[in-house]
Amino acid sequence: MEYYFGILQTLGFHVLLGYSAYILLLTGQLSLAQVGFFAIGAYASGILTVLFEWHIFPALFIGAIAAGCMAFMVGFPALRIKGLMLVIATIAFSEIVRLIFFNLRWRFEINGLEVGPDGAQGFREIRYFAANGWEIYEIVWLIWTMVAVATILLWWLDQIKAGAILRAIGSDELAAESSGINVTSVKIVAMACGGVIAGLSGGLYAHSTTYVDHNTFTVLLATFAVSYPLVGGLKSVFGTLAAVIFIQGILIEGLRFLGDYRTILFGALIILVMNFKPKGIVDENFVKGISEYLRLNKKLIK
Amino acid sequence: MRNSIISWKYFLAAYLIAVPAMSETTINIAGWGAKSGPLRSFGVNSQAIIDAAITRVNENGGVTLEDGTKAMMAVEYYDSGCNAEQGIAVARKVASETNALIGIGPTCSGVAAASFGVFQKKVDDASDTGLQMALLTDTAVRNGLAKISQWTFRNTPNEPDMYDKLFAWVAENRPEIKTIYGGTETDQGHSAGTYSKVIVQAAVRHGFEWVNGPIEGVNGTIVEGFKNVLSSSSNWLMADTNFSVQARAFKKSGADMFIVSSHPFTTCGFLKELYRQKGMPKMLVGLTSSSSAETMKGCSKQVEGMIIPTSFAPITDAAKEVAALAEANGGAADLHSAAAWENVMIIKQVIESVGITGDPANLQDERRKIRDGLEALETTEGLLGTVSRVQDEGEALKPYVFVQAQSGNWEVIHDPR
Amino acid sequence: MVITSVDVIQSIIDGILYGSIYALIGVGFTLIFGAMQKLNMAYAASSIAGAYCGLGISAVLSLNLLVTFFLGPLVGGLIGILVYLVCFRFIPSREHLGSLMASIGALFLIDEIIVHETDGSPLNFPELGIFSEAYFLVGEFGFRGDLIFVLIVSLLAMTSIILMLYRTKYGLAARAVSQQMNAAILCGINPHKVNASTFFLAGVLGGLAGCLAAAAVGVISPLLILPLTIKGLIATVIGGLGSIKGAIIAGLLLGGFESLFLLVRGVNERDIYVFLLLFLFLVFKPNGMFGSIIDRD
Repeated sequence: MEYYFGILQTLGFHVLLGYSAYILLLTGQLSLAQVGFFAIGAYASGILTVLFEWHIFPALFIGAIAAGCMAFMVGFPALRIKGLMLVIATIAFSEIVRLIFFNLRWRFEINGLEVGPDGAQGFREIRYFAANGWEIYEIVWLIWTMVAVATILLWWLDQIKAGAILRAIGSDELAAESSGINVTSVKIVAMACGGVIAGLSGGLYAHSTTYVDHNTFTVLLATFAVSYPLVGGLKSVFGTLAAVIFIQGILIEGLRFLGDYRTILFGALIILVMNFKPKGIVDENFVKGISEYLRLNKKLIK
Repeated sequence: MRNSIISWKYFLAAYLIAVPAMSETTINIAGWGAKSGPLRSFGVNSQAIIDAAITRVNENGGVTLEDGTKAMMAVEYYDSGCNAEQGIAVARKVASETNALIGIGPTCSGVAAASFGVFQKKVDDASDTGLQMALLTDTAVRNGLAKISQWTFRNTPNEPDMYDKLFAWVAENRPEIKTIYGGTETDQGHSAGTYSKVIVQAAVRHGFEWVNGPIEGVNGTIVEGFKNVLSSSSNWLMADTNFSVQARAFKKSGADMFIVSSHPFTTCGFLKELYRQKGMPKMLVGLTSSSSAETMKGCSKQVEGMIIPTSFAPITDAAKEVAALAEANGGAADLHSAAAWENVMIIKQVIESVGITGDPANLQDERRKIRDGLEALETTEGLLGTVSRVQDEGEALKPYVFVQAQSGNWEVIHDPR
Repeated sequence: MVITSVDVIQSIIDGILYGSIYALIGVGFTLIFGAMQKLNMAYAASSIAGAYCGLGISAVLSLNLLVTFFLGPLVGGLIGILVYLVCFRFIPSREHLGSLMASIGALFLIDEIIVHETDGSPLNFPELGIFSEAYFLVGEFGFRGDLIFVLIVSLLAMTSIILMLYRTKYGLAARAVSQQMNAAILCGINPHKVNASTFFLAGVLGGLAGCLAAAAVGVISPLLILPLTIKGLIATVIGGLGSIKGAIIAGLLLGGFESLFLLVRGVNERDIYVFLLLFLFLVFKPNGMFGSIIDRD
């Protein structure tokens, strides 16, 4: 059972990471900065629980806020540029964050044990959950409550005007601008929201793996973060959720019995999905199909 | 229908008579390591050797259980990549979904540092909900990892001891070598940690001088002044490809001995640049992990003469045999993977000494018994001789030899056993 | 260690010479981007794969190892066509993100196939014959012969690509497809054929770049893929998307800055400064050095 709870944890923080990229992708911007915010959340909340012996909730909160503020500050200069330029600028940002943590060494003794980030040796002993007797299902419950809240908020966003504004910018920036939308500030707000979600995810990640080092936060993870919404489709927030289950749950964990061939199949299946579903798994047809199916069921019940 | 049941029973009876002391239980163990990503060779080698060792145990009749019957051993090997999340997922899977008694792995020190953290820190601490299954690591070698949890043990070489003896030997046999200079890949915890906390200190302890005057704070004590060691050296990163600046600094230093503490890819890249700039020193010392076949595949010409202490070389009959078996299984025996063979044998020894039933119903108790058995071990039989266990830290003190790269092979130049 | 002005200039020379490898990869990215307004993330991976295949074929057939430098580009070109077929040909051209994601999939796929076939261990790569031993000393400064050769190759590649684009029928067709696809179809041009040729051309260039990079490092390993992808992209973007000249100059500059910061600030901080500079450059000059003013998505 523990194993499946472990996988649920992994799925949880990847879903959040995917959401943080999703919200910015709605405005048509591909950002690889999410992993930088993820790292900030991980280190900040880890430092708070380990070095300052905070409770987990305020630590997670501060971690998420710190990442959100960083996203806001980076958004100002970065979101004036777009497209491929933005991809490169955000890679630069993520790498700067990663390298700062790579150089960060801040250790002192707590209860007779020297703890804290130790540069390339990583940041060990982020054992808040285990040390405070949290059962694994409680951790899963915490993570998935966060995921559920984020999902509902993002779903609700699509029901109100804000979602329409984001999508309007995504489909035609010029048209959105001429209809009076302040494109750059909307994007910055989206970036900040994405930063908060990524920071929260990072905090949860650090505490459930108990160890982070700079090698976790590479461009590879940033690529995964944007892959989820792209593979899942931008039509609905559930696309990202489906893609995380597809990639992390099925391709990475579920195919473990294939041994070495699993990682080869991974790339091939992504190519295959994109050829048949270039808009992602959960595209318009899928959404239409589901809603028709539901309507049909309602009729049958009547 | 009835007939078939009867014949089946006869068959079983005949089987039981033919092999009287054979228990039906199988003793399961698990292994995991990097079988994808750039460090794949480590996982391939470990798996090849674990498989060979299990086959050997079974050929000799298997392992003796508590009631005196014999049981076969079986292993399942998982790919955890060099990725902390996957390492943790596999550790959890093995601990909760299989009835493996003990695990062997992982490959990467970063994965070990992360996954050891999800194990229970102290046994019998009911408030700690970490995993409770013993782990005996073969590869991840970064200094001091097994201390993270009382459930984690390692059978990896003890680098502080090996480098201490290496420099004592160099000081005695090569009196013309006086000054040293070096570099490491700073983003690899093991390479950089061993270099800055162990190797340079050992050299200073035995009277070698840093070429530009002594490094502040370094007096030969382990760890002391390691930050200054790093800032005084010329370093690179694991995926770097251009070494001209570093090689120039090495050459300019003019030291008698260069220390190159990194994995095969950058060791080769760096040495090729040094060779091009004609900056080869009188003597080269390398990191334990570089004494492998990969280095020879990459740059046998440039690595010529490099000396490395290692806990494995095919010099005893047992070691030669393991090397041959590894090759037959599609792997290679080096200081990391050969430890996997010893680990299987240690596990067999512990199972037989603590008495295991192999009954899945007693799984938790028996995992605990094995852990206690591992902790109680004072010595184990290694491929190069007797290995002493550092009991309270879960680490090993392994016999070692010094090898030198000579025309495409690692030749043993000194054997202190 | 004291850093003298000689050290500084020498490190810049080293870096700029090494930057010619980034430049060569950047030219390939630019070529594809110019033709289709799309990004092929698998480009550096297929370049290295071309070099691997070249090395493998010449080892298996026990040919002279220098043949690798001809086989590598050829296989690189074929892989280019393959990547075009699986990632671009059948995905509707307005779905930019779809083909981008597919090419990321191809990057993972190629990377893991290489890892699987070689167990990820570095392999010795043949050196560039006489060029590898050549080391020119001009006054106090040293120049690596093999990297000078790479630089010359990238300049030749640039010239021949520009000639091809502006002096041949293929070039006319490629430019037509890039500027106005529908009009080009009406003129009887088969855009898929033209695009496949562009991918082949870029692939050949990539295979050559992969071989030269591996020869310059001396070893080939899957670890080369990610850095080359990122550095190649940086060169493409700073040069101004679509400018071949820009990609080359940007690649050389990138190499120079890397090497300079390495000398001055050490390896742990080197990339912080390089990326900071890159970030600032993009913010203040979002169209790159030679980019056109129209902004592209």
